[in-house]
Amino acid sequence: MVVVFPPIVREAIIFSSLLTLLSTGLTLTYMTSRVPNFAHGSFATIGTYVSLVAFRLFSLSPYQFIPVAFVLAGVVSFILYKAILRPLARKGASTILLMIATIAYDMLLIAALNITADFLSRNYKVTSRYFSLKSADIRIENIPMVFYAAPLVTAIVIVALYLLLTRTKFGVAMRAAIENPSLAGVVGINVDLVYSVSWFLAGGLAGVAGLLMALWFIGNPDLGTILLISIFTASIVGGLMNIYGAFLGGFLVGFAEVLGTANLARAVGVWIVPYRPVIPLLILVITLLTIPGGISSIKFERFIGRVRKGGF
Amino acid sequence: MVFDTGVVILVSSIAAFFGLYLIVNLSLNLEFGYTGIPNFGKMLVVLGGAYIAGYLPGRLLLSMAQIDPSLDYIADNALIVTSINSFLRSFPALGIGILLLTILIGAAVGAVLGFVAAYPAVRLREEYLAMTLLAMGEVVKIIGYNYKPLIGGTLGVQVPDPLAAVPSGIRFPLMSVIILLFALAVFLYINRLVNSPLGRVLRAVRDSEAAAETLGKDIVRIRIKILVLSSAIGATAGSLHALYTGGVIALTYDRVVWTFWPWVMVLMGGMANNVGVLLGTLVFVTARQLITFYKGALAPYIPFDVVWLDYILLGVTLLLILMYRPDGIIPEKTSKTISFEKIAMERLKMTRGKEGE
Repeated sequence: MVVVFPPIVREAIIFSSLLTLLSTGLTLTYMTSRVPNFAHGSFATIGTYVSLVAFRLFSLSPYQFIPVAFVLAGVVSFILYKAILRPLARKGASTILLMIATIAYDMLLIAALNITADFLSRNYKVTSRYFSLKSADIRIENIPMVFYAAPLVTAIVIVALYLLLTRTKFGVAMRAAIENPSLAGVVGINVDLVYSVSWFLAGGLAGVAGLLMALWFIGNPDLGTILLISIFTASIVGGLMNIYGAFLGGFLVGFAEVLGTANLARAVGVWIVPYRPVIPLLILVITLLTIPGGISSIKFERFIGRVRKGGF
Repeated sequence: MVFDTGVVILVSSIAAFFGLYLIVNLSLNLEFGYTGIPNFGKMLVVLGGAYIAGYLPGRLLLSMAQIDPSLDYIADNALIVTSINSFLRSFPALGIGILLLTILIGAAVGAVLGFVAAYPAVRLREEYLAMTLLAMGEVVKIIGYNYKPLIGGTLGVQVPDPLAAVPSGIRFPLMSVIILLFALAVFLYINRLVNSPLGRVLRAVRDSEAAAETLGKDIVRIRIKILVLSSAIGATAGSLHALYTGGVIALTYDRVVWTFWPWVMVLMGGMANNVGVLLGTLVFVTARQLITFYKGALAPYIPFDVVWLDYILLGVTLLLILMYRPDGIIPEKTSKTISFEKIAMERLKMTRGKEGE
């Protein structure tokens, strides 16, 4: 049996899967360094431009460049941690100054991305702003492959992260380093290495998300900047300190954004579409006012217990 | 004495932007430097003030200037504002009145925006507040850019010139002087505020919430008060900017220009030090204005669009400051209290007085 999804649900699935990859990375770096990374969106944009270069310059499928996007964005993220955040944290910089440092790094990335875009259009006559790479995608029975690839990659990442964190020695060390860095250091865990890997992974996942995003959405140097509100909201809905929460948050915010905008457009008119970022902002506000600790802070056991006592 | 018009324009625009940024930066310093509030949405209130300048004065003057009521304020904006300006040419005092009224209402709207934007996260850790304020700023910009009745959406609107009565040669220099006067007032006010007992409470909130709480200070209340106050101050800069340039488009107010640059200037000057902030503002406003002014001359030496030089300058200076000079040019001084000598002298006088009795 073939389930046919309406196009808007398809878009929601792609967007939420990719948003989940981004919010997972953001949460991972927040858990390790306790600083929300304002440059996280631009890591995704790096992937978007890897996609463009792959297709337009090398005439290859963007899928073949997934490792390139992963490594490139991963290294950019790793540099932010190793060269900027760690030295600053060692000097005792406050959270506010660390956040400002990620913003400074983001400014440099945005400049670099824009210069790259100018360079591509000037030297290779490639449309490098507001470009669409939908034609670069492979079609399987007339359905673009990114519809399968995005959720698949996200599912693989969820399972792999789960296995890493629970079944491997390194993953256990990672959790220890997150829970209590000084104690982890005492028992011989290389906390710096663990954090470096986290930042590399987070950047890499963002790069892959950005690469896949280019196959469905319009690419531009400010793609990641625009996405930032959604990424933050997804992570905060998930609780900021819980990777599994970030998965849930990503899907919740992604679906709400895409389906909410589409349904509102149908109900009140197309003029509402540009106001799309209001939806994640509203979710953010409601979350902060009702459950600031996010979904992962809700004690479901207690809730279920209360329901049982009351009625069953 | 005859000045080159180019030099006059450059100097007056440096003066104007120095004043505008000084207002924004001092209010940011009050939030971040003194109270420890990470306002990453400073552009929110600047936008609010600019929206009011784009929305209010023109509509207020419609009937007074006897504009044909069948005209649409947004669609026929250029025509309407031109006739309002020619009307204002004969009423200089009305122009100044409109300027003050716009700024006053802009400040009120800024205060409300600051309160609403900060409310959901003001009780939470600073990261949450930073992210929420940033998101709020972006969304308010999107609204201004898409909701046409407010300030004309993508095309923007023109703002009536409160100085229409002044000869065009000295219009911009005079407006710069007005902006500088406002900046001076803000400087004196904030300086007074932070050197009062309240200033010490703010530093206590910043440095040790627990200590401030044990002394019976309501931290959330203080944070909200400071956010509302500095949002009102920041919004005046937005109104003044729109009145100075004579037009508002939401797109020109982005977080790089009106949030992150103020952060650089405050950090460069030295947080919790208003003189330092003044210096930082002067340095960067001059540098940026010179880059904008000599864009054409710079272009051949730079292998990319000069616009991105602004971003690179921002990122690099910010990182350098954080790495090597986190306290800024002039580090924070200990707060002003009565010196020990003075207390000793007073006590001496008192005891001597008693002896004399």
